[in-house]
Amino acid sequence: MESVLEELKKAVADYDSEKAVSLTRKALKEGLDPLKCAEVLIKAIKEIGDKYEKGELFLPDLVAAADVLGSAMPILQEEIKKTGKKVESLGKVVIGTVFGDIHSIGKTLVATLLTAAGFEVIDLGVNVKVSEFIEAAKKHKPNILAMSALLTTTAPEQRKVIEALEKENLRSKIKVIVGGGAITQEFAESIGADGYAATAPEAVKLAEKLVKEG
Amino acid sequence: MRKGFIRKIKPLKILTKEQVEAIHRGTLDILERTGVRFEDEEALRFLENSGCYVDYKEKRVRFPSYLVEECIRKCPSSFYIKARDPKDDMRIGGNTLYFMSFAGLRTCDLYTGETRIPTLAENDEAVRISDALENLDCFPSYTPYFEIEGVEPCMLCPISTASRIRNSTKISRSAQVADAPIWDIKMAKAVGMQMLGNMEASPPLTYSEDATKAAFKFGEVGFPVFIAGGGIMGATAPATIAGATISNNAEMLAAVVMLQLIRPGIGIVANDFVFPMNMRSGGPRFGSLESALHQIIFNQIWHEYYGIPTVNAAAGASNSKLADYQNGYEKMFVALTAALSGANIIALHGGVTAELSYHPIQAILDDDIAGLVGRTIEGVEVTTETMAIELINEVGPIPGHFLNKAHTREWWKKEHFIPKVADMLSYPEWLKKGKKTALEYAKERMKEILDTHKPTPLSEEQDKEIDRILKEAREYYKKKGML
Repeated sequence: MESVLEELKKAVADYDSEKAVSLTRKALKEGLDPLKCAEVLIKAIKEIGDKYEKGELFLPDLVAAADVLGSAMPILQEEIKKTGKKVESLGKVVIGTVFGDIHSIGKTLVATLLTAAGFEVIDLGVNVKVSEFIEAAKKHKPNILAMSALLTTTAPEQRKVIEALEKENLRSKIKVIVGGGAITQEFAESIGADGYAATAPEAVKLAEKLVKEG
Repeated sequence: MRKGFIRKIKPLKILTKEQVEAIHRGTLDILERTGVRFEDEEALRFLENSGCYVDYKEKRVRFPSYLVEECIRKCPSSFYIKARDPKDDMRIGGNTLYFMSFAGLRTCDLYTGETRIPTLAENDEAVRISDALENLDCFPSYTPYFEIEGVEPCMLCPISTASRIRNSTKISRSAQVADAPIWDIKMAKAVGMQMLGNMEASPPLTYSEDATKAAFKFGEVGFPVFIAGGGIMGATAPATIAGATISNNAEMLAAVVMLQLIRPGIGIVANDFVFPMNMRSGGPRFGSLESALHQIIFNQIWHEYYGIPTVNAAAGASNSKLADYQNGYEKMFVALTAALSGANIIALHGGVTAELSYHPIQAILDDDIAGLVGRTIEGVEVTTETMAIELINEVGPIPGHFLNKAHTREWWKKEHFIPKVADMLSYPEWLKKGKKTALEYAKERMKEILDTHKPTPLSEEQDKEIDRILKEAREYYKKKGML
C-alpha cells in the first residue's frame, strides 16, 4: 500500500500527470485515505519548491510539478468532500489579467506558483472585466485578489477594480495584490493596493506574508 | 581533451577571393624582393642552406615564393598538444575555438584604477582562479603578471612558468626572451606536458636572436609553436589595414618557413596582434575597430587560404583603466568579430589598463564574454525536435503556454546561455540585495573559487624537480652576470 503513495510522490518528481492521475485512482480503489494522498502530493511539490529556492530547479520544473497536482488533486478533493473534510489551504486567491489586456503568461505563472505553494487559486483568465472580478470576489470570498497588467494603457483598470471593491464594501475583507510589466511599487501604492511584486516567485512570498498578517 | 567551442556557422569573410590573392601576392613580393632581417648568424646560415638568399652584410634573408608556399602546405590544419592532465589536452585548429587568458604588467584596484606590483602569492592565486574558469583553456607566456615583487627580470619567466605549472593543469605558452625556453622545456618535461613554443617578430620585418634561438629549441623538442608579430599601424606597419596585413603576413610567413625547415610538419598557430597607433600618445590604441578588421581578414587569409590555425589577441587589451562599460564593449566587440571570422584561439581574460594590468576579477567577468562569444558560433540547431512544430500546434493560442512542457525543461538548459556573474535580478530584489553589480558578483565568485577550487597538485618529486630547475636557472643567469 505504501508503495502506491511512494509512486505517487515519484510521479510528481517526474512531472508525469498521466501517471499521477492513474495512481491516484489506484490508491482510492485500494481504499487509501484521500486526505493522506493529498498530503503526499503537497509534500512532493514542497520538496520541488525547496529545490527551486536553493537554485537547483527552475520555473519550468515548478510549473510542471504544479500541473501534475492540478490533474490529480481534483480527483482527491471530490472524495474528500464526500467525507465532509477539507484539504488545508494557505488561503484562496482570485486572479486575472485586467480588461483590455490579453497577456496571459505572467498571470498563469503566478497562479501556478500560488497553487504549488498551497493556495487555492481561481484563475479568471485574461481580459477580465471589473464586473467579473467583483462577481468572483462575491462568489469565492477569497483572501486575496490578484491582478496583472502588462500595458501602461491597461494598468488603470486595476484602480477601477479596487474602487469597485470599495463600492461593494468588499475591500476590507480582501487583500489586493498587483503585478505585470507596467506596474511599479509606486503605482501599486497610488491605487491603494496592498502589495506589489516584480516576479512570480516574489508574488508567492507576498501572498504568504499578507495571509499571515490576516 | 578540452572541448572549447565548435563553430558550426560559416565563418565571416569580408574579402573577395581576388582580394585575398592580391594580399598573398603582395606578401610574396615583400618576402622575395626586400626579405626579412635576422639578427642571428645561425639562422642566416640555416636559411641559406635551406634555399633562401642571404645577404650577410645586411643580415637579410630573401625568400623564394615556391619555398614559402611549400612551407605553408607543410603546416597541419590542426595539431594536438599534451597537458599534464589529459582533461586539459588541446587540439588547436579546424573549427574549434579556445580562449586564452591575457596578461598585464601589474595588478590593479578595479575601483580606483591604481596599479601596483603583485606578490608571487597573488600570482599563484590569479593562476588558480584561471584554472577554475570554465571557458579559459590556456595561458600565454609570463601570465598573469609580468612583474612580480622581489623577482629579478631574468628570473620572471621561469618563476612565472613554475607558478602556472603548480597552480593549473592547463596548457601554457613559453616565452622566447632571455633563454626562457631552456627552463620552460625542462619544466614541461619534468611534469610530462608540452608547452606552446613561441617565436615573435620585431616589426617591421625583423627577427631578434632570441626569436630564432627559441625556434631552434622548440623545433628540436617538437613543441608546436605560437608565432606572433604585433605591428603598430602607422608606425611599425603601414597605417592602412590592407598594408598592415601584408607586412604582418610577411613577418609571420618568414617564421612559418623557418619552423617548417627546422622540423617539417611542426604545428603552428599564428597570432594576430596588430593595433593602430594612438596618434597623440604614440602608444597602441587597444580595443579598436582597426584591430578587429585586421583580425577578420587575417583569419580569412590564414585559416581559409593557408590552412593554418589562428590566434587573435587584440580582444585581451582594453584602453579602460577600470572594469567598466568601455572595457566590456571593447572586449566583446573585438572577441566576437574574431570568433565569427574563425579564430581558433582568442586571448581575452583579465586585461585592464591596456597591457599595464591584469586582475582575476576582470578574468571572471571576461569568462562570461567568452561563454557568450563561444555559444554564438555554435549556431542554432534546426531539427524536428528543436523546431517543435507538433508542440506549437498542441499548445495553440492564449491561454496555451510552453512553461509546463517537457520540451521546455529539456531544451532551455541546452539552448539558453546564463552568464555566471551578470546582474539578472528584478528591480525590487536588486534594491533589497544591496544594489550589487556584475563586478561585485565577480568579486564574490573569486572568493568562492579561492575557497573551494583545488587544482591537481604536482607530485612531491615533480615539485622538487621544478625547484631544482629554478635553482639551475638562477645559477645560469648569475654566471651570465644578469643577477
